[in-house]
Amino acid sequence: MKIVFIEQDRCLACRNCERACAFQDSRNFDRESTNIWVHVNMDHRTIFTLTCQQCEAAICLDACPTAAITRDPDTDAVIVDEKTCIGCRMCIIACPFGCIHFDSAKHIAVKCNLCSGVPKCVQNCMSGALHYADINELAAVKRHKSNRPRHNTALLPAKEDRQ
Amino acid sequence: MKVRTPITDGVVPTLCRMCDTRCAINVHIKNSVIAGITPFENHPVNEGRICPRSEAAIDLFYHPDRILKPLKRREDGSFIEISHTRALDEISARLKHLKKEHGAHTVGVWKGEGLGFYQQEGYARRFIRAFGSPNYFSNDSACYNGRYLGNHLVCGFWNAFPEFNQAGLILLFGTNPPICHPPFTRELADARENGTRLVVIDPRLNPMACYADIFAQPYPGTDGALGWGLINYLIQTGNYDRDLVQRHVIGFEKIAAYARKFTPQYVQAQSGIYAHVVETIGRLIVKNQPDISIFSGAGLEHHENGVNSIRTLVILSCLSGALGRPCGLYRPEPLGTGELSLDRTLPPTGKNPIGRDKFPVLYDIRKECHTMTAMDYMLGKGEYPLKGLIIAAANPAVTNPNTAKVEKALKSLDLLVVNDFFMTKTAQLAHYILPATTFLEREELHFYPKLQRVNLTRCVATVDGVIDEYRVWRELALRLGFGDQYFPWKNESAVNHWLLAPTGLTVDLLHNHPQGYVYKPIRYQKHLSENLPTPSGKLEFASPYLKQLGLDEIPVYRPPYHRRHTDNRFPLVLTTGARKSLFYHSRNQNIPRFRNVHPDAEVEMHPDDAAHLQIENGEKVHVISKNGRLTLRVSIKHHSELRRGIVEIYHGWEDWRVNFLTFDEINDPISGFPLLKGVPVRIEKAAF
Ligand code: SF4
Repeated sequence: MKIVFIEQDRCLACRNCERACAFQDSRNFDRESTNIWVHVNMDHRTIFTLTCQQCEAAICLDACPTAAITRDPDTDAVIVDEKTCIGCRMCIIACPFGCIHFDSAKHIAVKCNLCSGVPKCVQNCMSGALHYADINELAAVKRHKSNRPRHNTALLPAKEDRQ
Repeated sequence: MKVRTPITDGVVPTLCRMCDTRCAINVHIKNSVIAGITPFENHPVNEGRICPRSEAAIDLFYHPDRILKPLKRREDGSFIEISHTRALDEISARLKHLKKEHGAHTVGVWKGEGLGFYQQEGYARRFIRAFGSPNYFSNDSACYNGRYLGNHLVCGFWNAFPEFNQAGLILLFGTNPPICHPPFTRELADARENGTRLVVIDPRLNPMACYADIFAQPYPGTDGALGWGLINYLIQTGNYDRDLVQRHVIGFEKIAAYARKFTPQYVQAQSGIYAHVVETIGRLIVKNQPDISIFSGAGLEHHENGVNSIRTLVILSCLSGALGRPCGLYRPEPLGTGELSLDRTLPPTGKNPIGRDKFPVLYDIRKECHTMTAMDYMLGKGEYPLKGLIIAAANPAVTNPNTAKVEKALKSLDLLVVNDFFMTKTAQLAHYILPATTFLEREELHFYPKLQRVNLTRCVATVDGVIDEYRVWRELALRLGFGDQYFPWKNESAVNHWLLAPTGLTVDLLHNHPQGYVYKPIRYQKHLSENLPTPSGKLEFASPYLKQLGLDEIPVYRPPYHRRHTDNRFPLVLTTGARKSLFYHSRNQNIPRFRNVHPDAEVEMHPDDAAHLQIENGEKVHVISKNGRLTLRVSIKHHSELRRGIVEIYHGWEDWRVNFLTFDEINDPISGFPLLKGVPVRIEKAAF
C-alpha cells in the first residue's frame, strides 16, 4: 500500500506540511489539529518529522471499542468514522507514535486519512522530503543514498579536513 | 462580484505570483468558479510541489474586502465609490494641472510587489518617462537593489540564484530559504544528498540552520568582516584562483593589502564569530574550490555597509574560482524582448531625478530614484517639491523606514493615487484608489534568468468592472495625450505580442509551454572568451568608477552603526524583516487561516535579556527607539536562536508597524539603503 513517508535528511523544517494538513480539514490552524508534525530541537539542533504510518496491524484499530476505526477500501488508510467514534481516547493511548490526537471541539479522535489518496502535505513539501508511495521505495531511496559520497557533520574540523 | 472565466470547467496551467519565486500551478475551474490550485507537475522551478500560500490566491481573488470600484476620498477622510471613467478623468486632469503649474518632475510613480512582475515595472517606468518626469521609485530601494549593485559593481552582472545542487560547499548569508524561497529547499536537499557542505551565517538561528554543517551567528551587519577574513585566509594560504587574478581582475593588490588585517582573531573581535570557526570555513572553501556557492539574501543589504559586504562576498566567490561556474557566478542572458522602459530612448532631461545627487550609483545603474529622499521632497525640503504620486501596489506606509515621516509626507501630497486590492495603510492616505487585478486576471511574461526560461501566464478569470493594470496606465496615458504614442496596444495580450516580436517566439508557442520555454542554452565560463560587462571589462575588485565618485574604491569594512555608537538609553539592537512563511511582506494578513498561524506581532528576545528586564513570555512591552515606540507581545526564544542583546520584529504588520522605530537618514552611501537590521532600541515593561 501507499503511505506518506519522510526522507528525514531532506527536511529543512519549513512546516508547510503541518499547515497544509491543518488547513485541509478545518481551513484553520492550530498545531494541535494537524496530523503531521515537524519537531525542531534547538538544544540538539535536530529536525524530526512524523506522521501516521498506517500500520499493517494497527493497534489503534484493534483498541477501538466501537469499531469506528477501519481501513479505507480505496487507499487502505486507517480512518476514523466521526459518527461512530465515542471519544473514549483509547486509540490515542494505544498508538505508540502519538499520531492520533483528540479534537476537543468535536470530541472525537482524529488522524491522517491520506486525504483520500492525494495527501496535501506531500503536495506542499517543496524540498521533496515527503513522498506518497510504497514503503519499499523509501528502502530503495536509502540504498541509493548509501552508495553516494557523504561527509560527516562537523562543527570542528573533521578528520578529513585536518589532514 | 461578477466573475467570468474563459472556460467553464477545466484546468489552466499558469504561474503562482504569491511570492517572487513563481512556481508553476494548475488552476482548477468548476462552474466558472476558481475551485482549486494544485502544483503543475513539470516545471523545473518547483517540480510538482507548491507552498500553502499558493492556494490563498483564491482567497485573495474572492476576498470580501477586495476593492472592486474606484474610490475617492472626501474632505472628511471617508471614501465614496465613483466610476472608472470619472476616476481616470479626474486623476488625469489633476496630473495635467500639476504638470502645467509645477512641471512634470513634480509627479512620480512607485512600483510595488503586488500586481505583477516584469511588466508591472516596465509599465510604471514607461509611463513616467512619457509623462516627462525622471522620478521612478520602487520597493526595490529597500530590497533587491543593494544586491544588484553589489554584484554589478564587481562583475557587471548578477545571477540572483545559483545552481546550488552543483556546489561542493554552500555558504548562505542572511537568508532563510524555507521561508524566503521555498523551492530552494529542494536544491539544498539535493546538494546535501550529494555530500555538499552547508554553512549558514545569520544573526538569527532559523530552524534550517539545524540542517547545516556550520551555523555561525555574527553581530548584525558584520558579515563584511567575515568576508574579508575568508579572503585573507585564501590569500595567506595561497589558495585562490591565480589564473583568474592574472587575466581578469583589476585591484587585486589593493584588496590583498587591505585584507591582511582580517586575521581570524580580528574577525572574531568584529563579528563575534569564533576565530577557529572562521578558519574552519576557510578550510572548507579551500577543500571544495572551485565548486563554491555563496548566496546572500536581503539580510546584508539592510545595513548601511551592505553593498560593501556584498561586494566582499562577490570577490570571495571569484577568488574561490566560482566565476562562471553553475553553482557560482555565471551570467545568464536575457531573451531580448522589446523594452517597455524608455530610459534609453527618452532619457530624462531637465530637473534632477530625486536622490541622484546623494546616491548617484543607484540612479546610474538602476535608473531609479531614492524613496527616502522622496519623503523630503514631498515635505518641501528638496530641490523642488514632489506633489503627485501614483503607487502601483506598494505599501510604503508600512514597509519604508521612519513611518511617522512617511505618513506625514504622503499626506502632504496634492495627489496620491494607489492601485491595490485592499485598503492598505498606504491606500488609506490616497485621494483615489483604483481597484487592481490579481495575477490570475492577466497574461504576463515571466523570466527565470538562471534557467534562461520564459513563461507566459494565463488569464484564469476576470471580475466585471475591474480593469487590469495595463489598462489603467493606458487609459491615463490616453487622457494625458501620450497614449497613442507610448501605450498604443489595446490590451496586455497585444503588449505581449509586441514584447515577443524581436525574439522570434510567439504567444501561442509560450501558451503551449507551461513548463517554460528555454530561449537559449546556458553558457558557463563566458569570461574565458568575452570581456566582463564592467567598465574595464574585468572583475573590478577595486572600482575606478566608485573612486571617481568619491566612494570606496575597494569594499572597505566599516562596523555597523550599532557597533560604532553606544548609547545607554538604547542598549539593545533591533533587527527587522525576518520573513514569516505565510505572509509576503505586508500581504496575506487578512487571510484568516494564515492569521491563525501568525496572529499578532511579537518582539523576539533572548531569555537572558528578558530575565534581566524581568519580562515574561507573552508579556506586553514597549520597544522604543529614538524615532518612536511600538507596543507588542514578547516572545522569548531559545537561547541559541538570537544573540544576547539582539531583538527581532517582523516588518510587514499593518497594525504593528516596526518602521515607526527604524531610521531613514542613515543610508548605505552606494545603494541608499536604510538601516533596517541594526537599530538601537530599549525595551520597557508596559504598565496596564
Ligand atoms: S513558493 Fe509558494 S507562494 Fe511562492 S510561487 Fe511557489 S507556491 Fe507560490
